[in-house]
Amino acid sequence: MGKLEIKNLHASVDGKEILKGINLTINDGETVALLGPNGHGKSTLLNVIMGHPRYEVTEGSITFEGEDVLSMSIDERARKGLFLGMQNPSEVPGVSNSDFLRSAVNSRREKPISTYNFYKILDAASKEVKMPFDLATRSLNEGFSGGEKKRNEILQMILLEPKICMLDEIDSGLDVDAIQVVADVIRKEQANNRAFLVISHYARLFDLIHPTRAIVIINGRVVIDGDPSTIKRIDTQGYEFIKTELGISIEKEEPEMNKVSLGSCAVREAIK
Amino acid sequence: MERLLINKDNIASLPLVSEVSLDTNSFNNEEMIIKANQVIDILIDDLSDETNLKINMQKDSKAHIAILSKNLLKHFEITANLEENAKIEVFFADFSNGESHNKVLINLNKNNAKAFWSLASLTNGKDNKEFEVSILHNSTNTIARSDNYGVCLEEGKLVFSGISSIKKGAIKSKTRQNAKIMVFDETANGITRPILKIDENDIEAGHGAVVGKISDDHLFYLTSRGLTTLEAKKLITYGYLKPIMNGFKEERMKEEISSLVEKRV
Ligand SMILES: Nc1ncnc2c1ncn2[C@@H]1O[C@H](COP(=O)(O)OP(=O)(O)O)[C@@H](O)[C@H]1O
Ligand SMILES: [Mg+2]
Repeated sequence: MGKLEIKNLHASVDGKEILKGINLTINDGETVALLGPNGHGKSTLLNVIMGHPRYEVTEGSITFEGEDVLSMSIDERARKGLFLGMQNPSEVPGVSNSDFLRSAVNSRREKPISTYNFYKILDAASKEVKMPFDLATRSLNEGFSGGEKKRNEILQMILLEPKICMLDEIDSGLDVDAIQVVADVIRKEQANNRAFLVISHYARLFDLIHPTRAIVIINGRVVIDGDPSTIKRIDTQGYEFIKTELGISIEKEEPEMNKVSLGSCAVREAIK
Repeated sequence: MERLLINKDNIASLPLVSEVSLDTNSFNNEEMIIKANQVIDILIDDLSDETNLKINMQKDSKAHIAILSKNLLKHFEITANLEENAKIEVFFADFSNGESHNKVLINLNKNNAKAFWSLASLTNGKDNKEFEVSILHNSTNTIARSDNYGVCLEEGKLVFSGISSIKKGAIKSKTRQNAKIMVFDETANGITRPILKIDENDIEAGHGAVVGKISDDHLFYLTSRGLTTLEAKKLITYGYLKPIMNGFKEERMKEEISSLVEKRV
C-alpha cells in the first residue's frame, strides 16, 4: 500500500470536468516530478488532494496512510501531514504572518509552543530560506514580491514538517539563487524520508532535486508514469512526442485560471 | 496612569491637555464644550444603551475619542460641531448587541476644521444595526475621512449609510468615505449605501463601498496549514478589525477587543 493512493479520480470545477480518472501512488521517500502542458489539471490535482472547496470530486478515491482523505476537512488533511505550496499564495490583509505561522505550528501540537521557542524555530527557518525576518512580522503575503511569497511557502513547509510536500510551480518567479535555496531545503527534507510531488516547467529545479519518478498529466489523465528521463525529453522536445508515440491528442492549451471569477452584482466583490 | 473620570461639573476645570474617561450616563443629552486650545483624549469604555452625545469644539481644540461598546445598544447618537482649526478623531469599536439605529453627525463649520471617523463593527446572532455617518463640510479647507468596517456573522444585519457633503463655497475641502463589510454566512446581511453630495468644484472627494463574502481562497489557505475554519475566521476577523485598535492607547483595551473577537466569532 502506498503512502498516498489516488484511484480513478474525477473532479470538476463549475460543472466542467478537469480530472478524468487520475491514478497515482506515492510512497515514502519518493520525489515525483509532475509535468504537463498548461491547463491540463496539474494544479487542480494538488488542490483536490488538499481539499479546495471549488473543486468537486465526482468519482474515485484518495487515501493517505490507508485513511480516506476525501472525507477529511482541509485542516485535518494538513494535520495528517499533507502540505501544498501554492502556485499563487493568497495575500491575506491584516493577518499577521507570524500569528498565522504560530497558529499553524500549534495546530499540530498538544500544548502551544512557547513564544521563545516559536521565534527560535521561525528565525532558523527564515535563515534557511534566506527570507528577511521582517517579512515574518508583516501581514500574510501582503505586498510580498512573487519570490518572497514562494519563500514564505517553503518557510511554512519547514515549520510544519509535513509527510507529503506538494509544491506547485514553487520555482516560478524565483531567480537562480532563490531556486538553489529552495532546492537545498528540498534536498534536506528528502533526507528525512519525506515524499515530494513537485510541479515545475523547468528542468533546472529537477536537476537540483533529483526526482525518483516523473509523471505527465494530459487532458486530466496521467499518460506517463515512469523514470525521470522523461523530464529531459520534455525539456528538449516539448510534449509533441507524446502525441506521436502514444497517440494522444493534446487538447488546446488553455490560459490558466488564476483569478477567481466573481458574482455578477457590481458592488459584491470578493474582499481582497 | 488612571484617567480622570469626567462629568458635567469637572469638565470646565480640566487642564488644557488631559486624558480622561467618560461615563455616557453623565453626559447624556448634555452639551460638552471643548474649549479653545484644549487637547482632550477621551476613553468611553462601554456605552449605555441609549446615548446621545453633543460635542461643541471651539477654535483650535483637539479631541481624540475612543469608544468601546460591548453590551446591549438601542441608540447611539453623536453630534459634533467644529469651529476653526478644531480637530476630532473618533475610533469606535462596536461589539454591541441588539437592534440599533445609530447616528453620527459631524459639522465642519469653520475653516480648516478636521474630522476623522473610524468604525469597526461586529454583528452576529440576530443583531440588526445601522450606522448613519454624516460629515458636512460647511466651510473652506475642511478635511474629513470616514472609515467604516464591518463583519457580519450568523443572522446579523449591518447597514452603513450616511452622507458626506461639501457645500458650495467650501473650497479646498477634502473628503473620503470608505465602507467595507465582510459577510461570513449565507444568512448574514451587509449593506453599504454611503452618499457623496458635492456642490463645489474646487475640492477632492473619494469614496469606496464594498460588501464581500469572506474569501474561499483565504480560508483555504489558512486551513490548509492546519488551522480549523473557526481559527481561520477569527484570525481573518481580527486582521480586518485590527486597525481600530490604533485608536486605543491602553493595552488592556486592545486586549479586551481581541478577546471580544475571540468570543464573538
Ligand atoms: N478555480 C477555477 N475556476 C475555473 N476554472 C478552473 C479553476 N481552476 C482550474 N480551472 C480550469 O481547469 C483547467 C486546469 O487548470 P489547472 O489545473 O490550473 O492547470 P495546470 O496547473 O495544469 O496548468 C483549466 O482549463 C482551468 O481553466
Ligand atoms: Mg498550475
